[in-house]
Amino acid sequence: MEILLSTIVAGLLFGMVLAMVALGLTIIFGVMDIVNFAHGEFLMIGMYTGLLTAKATGLDPLFMMPVAAGVGFLLGVLCYVGFIKFLLRGPMIAQLLGTFGLMLLLRNLALLIFGSEDRALHHGILVGQSFDIGMGVIIPATKLAAAALSVVSFLGVWLLMNRTKLGKALTATALNAQGARYMGIPTERMNALAWGIGVGTVTVAGALIVNFWSVNPFIGLLFTMIAFAIVALGGFGSVPGAFFAALVVGMITEIPGFWDFMTYTFELDWMANVPMTSLKYMWVYLAYFVIMVVRPRGLFGWKH
Amino acid sequence: MKKVLKCTLFVLGLVLILGLIVPSGALAERVIKIGVIYPLTGGAAAAGRELRAGAELAAEIANTAMTTIDMSMARNAGIKSLGGAKIKLIFKDHEGNPTLGADLAKKLILDDKVDGILGCYFSSVTKTVSAVAEQHGIPMINGTSTSPPLTQRGFKWFWRTTPHDKWFTKDLFELLKGLTEGKVKGVKAVAKKDLINIASACEKTEWGSNVSLMIQSWAKEYGYNVRKSMLYAKESPDLSSEVRSLKAARPGVMLFASYTSDAILMVKTLKAQKVKTNVIWGQDAGFEKPEFRNTLRDSIVGILTRTVFLPKVAELKKVAGQVNALYKLKTGNDLGGASARAFTGLQTWVHVLEKAASTKPTDIQRAANAIYIPGDELVVPWAGIKFSTSGDEIGQNVLGGGLIGQYQKGPDGKIGLEIVYPFDVASANMIYPFQQF
Repeated sequence: MEILLSTIVAGLLFGMVLAMVALGLTIIFGVMDIVNFAHGEFLMIGMYTGLLTAKATGLDPLFMMPVAAGVGFLLGVLCYVGFIKFLLRGPMIAQLLGTFGLMLLLRNLALLIFGSEDRALHHGILVGQSFDIGMGVIIPATKLAAAALSVVSFLGVWLLMNRTKLGKALTATALNAQGARYMGIPTERMNALAWGIGVGTVTVAGALIVNFWSVNPFIGLLFTMIAFAIVALGGFGSVPGAFFAALVVGMITEIPGFWDFMTYTFELDWMANVPMTSLKYMWVYLAYFVIMVVRPRGLFGWKH
Repeated sequence: MKKVLKCTLFVLGLVLILGLIVPSGALAERVIKIGVIYPLTGGAAAAGRELRAGAELAAEIANTAMTTIDMSMARNAGIKSLGGAKIKLIFKDHEGNPTLGADLAKKLILDDKVDGILGCYFSSVTKTVSAVAEQHGIPMINGTSTSPPLTQRGFKWFWRTTPHDKWFTKDLFELLKGLTEGKVKGVKAVAKKDLINIASACEKTEWGSNVSLMIQSWAKEYGYNVRKSMLYAKESPDLSSEVRSLKAARPGVMLFASYTSDAILMVKTLKAQKVKTNVIWGQDAGFEKPEFRNTLRDSIVGILTRTVFLPKVAELKKVAGQVNALYKLKTGNDLGGASARAFTGLQTWVHVLEKAASTKPTDIQRAANAIYIPGDELVVPWAGIKFSTSGDEIGQNVLGGGLIGQYQKGPDGKIGLEIVYPFDVASANMIYPFQQF
């Protein structure tokens, strides 16, 4: 039972962390219909920002999140104004290849600046801390903080999109940009804002994740793939959909835990040597594939 | 006056003609080029720095006469049988990539025209590089790769000085057996049931996969039960699910084969998950690096690692102490398993070249197959170096041996490795069971 409980808790926590990563992607897609292949690279930039500013200032990495948010927001707006705006004039394939190029550019810039070495934080208020809540369930403090911030961010974005004029303007831009322009909504500014918020949320996620994951210039790809799976599962453009889909994906990555539960509860020795942990992300991609085939709109999608 | 002028003109003319006829390099000091391929960037960059420093120190000692070092290679400046030729190391960075390693080997052989190769630490890279060396008939000495199959391929141009994982892993099971028999210094006999369940996590590479197989094979022979045997992707950003899976097996003994960044992350995650076990053992590599100790500090007290060199050896063996002092001066750290073996690898090159008295590959091959370096020449605690030339293993040093060290806190508060195996050279009481996180 210990194994089962700790697996469920770990899956939910990781799901919430992934939700934070996918949030930016769903905002950008929701508002602008742009598939951003460079999403994981923005996360990587957030991780480096958190890590390097914490090391440079000697402050705890948790305090570096506003810096990462600022860097991400500016980077997002700059990317839109200097690059994406022009891509929007072209066909869909130009947008796909454009963001793919941006991904390669950012990754190789990071490689040039930081080298290929893994870098990790080893000290901080939460680093290495954990809570034993009984029944064999251990919760790492870093993941708990990341999960809590994820919930807060989702609530914030949901409130922004549904309870404010700005959110309504963003939604109007997403639904019908031309109509929104006729109504006096500065759609260009809305798009830039969507990129700013989208990239800002993912860099904050990066600054949090670096508390428990190491970073290298290639880390983005894994997260891009997972974020795409989440957004596809939740429905492109749906903020609550992304959150619930992330929880599902978090649980899918814990399939090895459920496997262990079966192995050691029923003493099935042959199951112990099946390399389930090596396949943990395979199930996510399989779910992505199935969703794209069976229900391309995802569970909560409203885009057609 | 005219005569003096004539003589001067004659000498000048002679110098000019000689300058035109004789190639410029011929009068320069003779140099023997050894291509050294190590991971100088990437996840094992820290190990790469150690390896490089070890090889460089050996080259310095070989190239300069140092009477303070009791080694035959320190007596002369350069290779005496080759007219004092100096060793020149050409370093290349394989970044942990076997394909890149093979490309670098080709470049070293075809462009740099090296006389031999040393490397590559990662068994996976050693495998591809040695294949290139074999293809081109260039001798390669390996000092630090421990995957057993490397010397089971029947290669004619490949020699390995380090013992390999089959024997290192056997040492671990001898230690476990010793624990149950009360042979371990400072520990009363332990019930076998406390140790019988084993969980292992090894990185999914040539080296890690073979260590995993060795663990399973020896466990069977010694009567232990491997409840979980896992291979994980190297340089993983997160090992939480792997650690939870290991924990689920409720092991009495946890075994790992990881390079530096993974070893650090693994122990951090074990700590965060408050894993309880009696023995934690690492198959050298990351578990022995200064970064591992400096980063994790008190968390590693009680963790065991197999190694071939510990600072304690420097206290017991005079020549090791002399070289360790120079190494510490150069890097600020004591020699470790990687640097001591890189040193020994290059030292072997020097002895082989001295014996060959030639840089012709066939002469080097003949010398390597016949070489015998006595143990008192080496910094590592081995009986010596002598390569097997027949049987299942070709080119394997048959006189090597391993140690198992345990991280303990000294009276000065510093954390260092104490020898706990072999039992007869144990330098401290073993801490058992492992202090819980």
